[in-house]
Amino acid sequence: MHWHWLIVIYLFLGGLGAGAYLTSFAAEKGWLGKKSRLNKAGYYIAAPIVAFGTLLLVFDLGQGLHKPWLLIRLLSNFSSVMTWGVYILSAFIIVGLFKGYLTLRNKPVPQGLTLAGAILALATGAYTGILLAVVKAIPFWSTGIMPILFVVSALSTGLSLTSLLTPLVDEGDFGEGREGEAHILLVGAELIIVAIFLGTMISGANGPAGQESAALVVSGTYAIIFWGCFIGLGLLFPVVVFIIQNLLFIQAAKQVVTEPSVKTGESAATIQKGHHSYLTIGTDISVLIGGFALRALIIFAALPIWDGQTIP
Amino acid sequence: MDNSKSMLISRRKVIKVSAVASAALALGIFPGRMVKADTVKDAPSNPSQVGFMYDQKKCIGCKACQAACKSANKWEEGAEWRRVLTSEKTKAFLSISCNHCDKPACVTVCPVSAYTKREKDGVIIHDSTKCVGCKYCMYACPYHAPQFSDDTGRITKCHFCYELQDNGENPACVSICPTGALTYGNLTKLRQTQGGITQITGLPNSELTIPSWVIIPKA
Repeated sequence: MHWHWLIVIYLFLGGLGAGAYLTSFAAEKGWLGKKSRLNKAGYYIAAPIVAFGTLLLVFDLGQGLHKPWLLIRLLSNFSSVMTWGVYILSAFIIVGLFKGYLTLRNKPVPQGLTLAGAILALATGAYTGILLAVVKAIPFWSTGIMPILFVVSALSTGLSLTSLLTPLVDEGDFGEGREGEAHILLVGAELIIVAIFLGTMISGANGPAGQESAALVVSGTYAIIFWGCFIGLGLLFPVVVFIIQNLLFIQAAKQVVTEPSVKTGESAATIQKGHHSYLTIGTDISVLIGGFALRALIIFAALPIWDGQTIP
Repeated sequence: MDNSKSMLISRRKVIKVSAVASAALALGIFPGRMVKADTVKDAPSNPSQVGFMYDQKKCIGCKACQAACKSANKWEEGAEWRRVLTSEKTKAFLSISCNHCDKPACVTVCPVSAYTKREKDGVIIHDSTKCVGCKYCMYACPYHAPQFSDDTGRITKCHFCYELQDNGENPACVSICPTGALTYGNLTKLRQTQGGITQITGLPNSELTIPSWVIIPKA
């Protein structure tokens, strides 16, 4: 194991920032319902989060503080995914800061800038997975599923953080957003992807080192983090809460239609209360913990294809 | 009504899952299964590529190669350029350093281009004054050739004593080997050696990076 917590945090924050931007982008485009309020907070936090993560990465480099002028060469090897990442992250931080600032000031934002930010956000989320997926000497990472898993987790954590922060930056009414549905889809997709990923590894398709890594996660050293933090807190708990909330929301909405005697305002207030409940806050935090646990598991359970010591 | 809807979703999901699963399986399995017959006759892509040849039958495990390398190249604390490994089962040895691969993963992944593969002999030299210490190459190299020193916060690795070679001398490890177990030379020629192989079972598939070495196994 050569990479430690700072890299875990960096990968997590890269995905989180990217997901936050894409959440607000989706809300702005109306994909999260006509009145989703998530169209701002994600833009505010996306670039600062990714920038902070990148700063942590610099601290983790052996020479980051020792000889920082060497870092300029990080732009030099176009065959290195890490170099791609430096370009993608730099561009995303710059575009994200512009988008966030203009949104904060309520100034018009060129369509091209918003779209460029969304593409770069997607690239940032995918990059954190591709960085690992290209390492053939680590069978646990060397799969095309990795970027898909990281992007879905990025979207899910980004949506949760944006939902958490929106009430703090925007005091308007809660609209009839489809955030709940989006969340069920994302968490559900993540469950399926993780099952395929671990199934592939356990089957031995990526060799014995991949099998051992998967065993560390599912039944070994990291089993508690996997089942407790990632599967339990990160996926199962949120999916149950989101499904229940969504059903309640649909019921409440029906009531408004079928019982005109109930004042629309009251019912909307109930819905709003539901959205702000401690349960919702807890669920969103729980999703964030799960996303963080996922990055930690992937990094810490990475076993090399050969240990460098054992010969037959 | 509700039932049929949920059926529909689950059926669609099943189809989706199986599609993703088969794609994932294809992605996952393919690189691992591309093992071609790897014969010693395989010529390196650079005809002037140099390589180590290691004869397991001649090696007595004295580790002089390791010591000579350490003193010639002044290893940084914690960085072992050459290691002599021992098999628990057969008690056979393996002296291993950087294999100066034909398809070097370190050169590909290093974000600061600290690694260069020389045109004239295919030796891979790591310029540690350029290294930022990201450790990406430590994950990428299947043979653990790049070594990190906590003291200096950077990678160093075997450079095949290229300066000695440029002066017409032998690498330090080869010079000192008392039994002639460790030799080096033009890889195309070394690959003609009777009984030489490039793949030892239990070691990474040589298709990954195509190491420039020839092993003469004990058994």
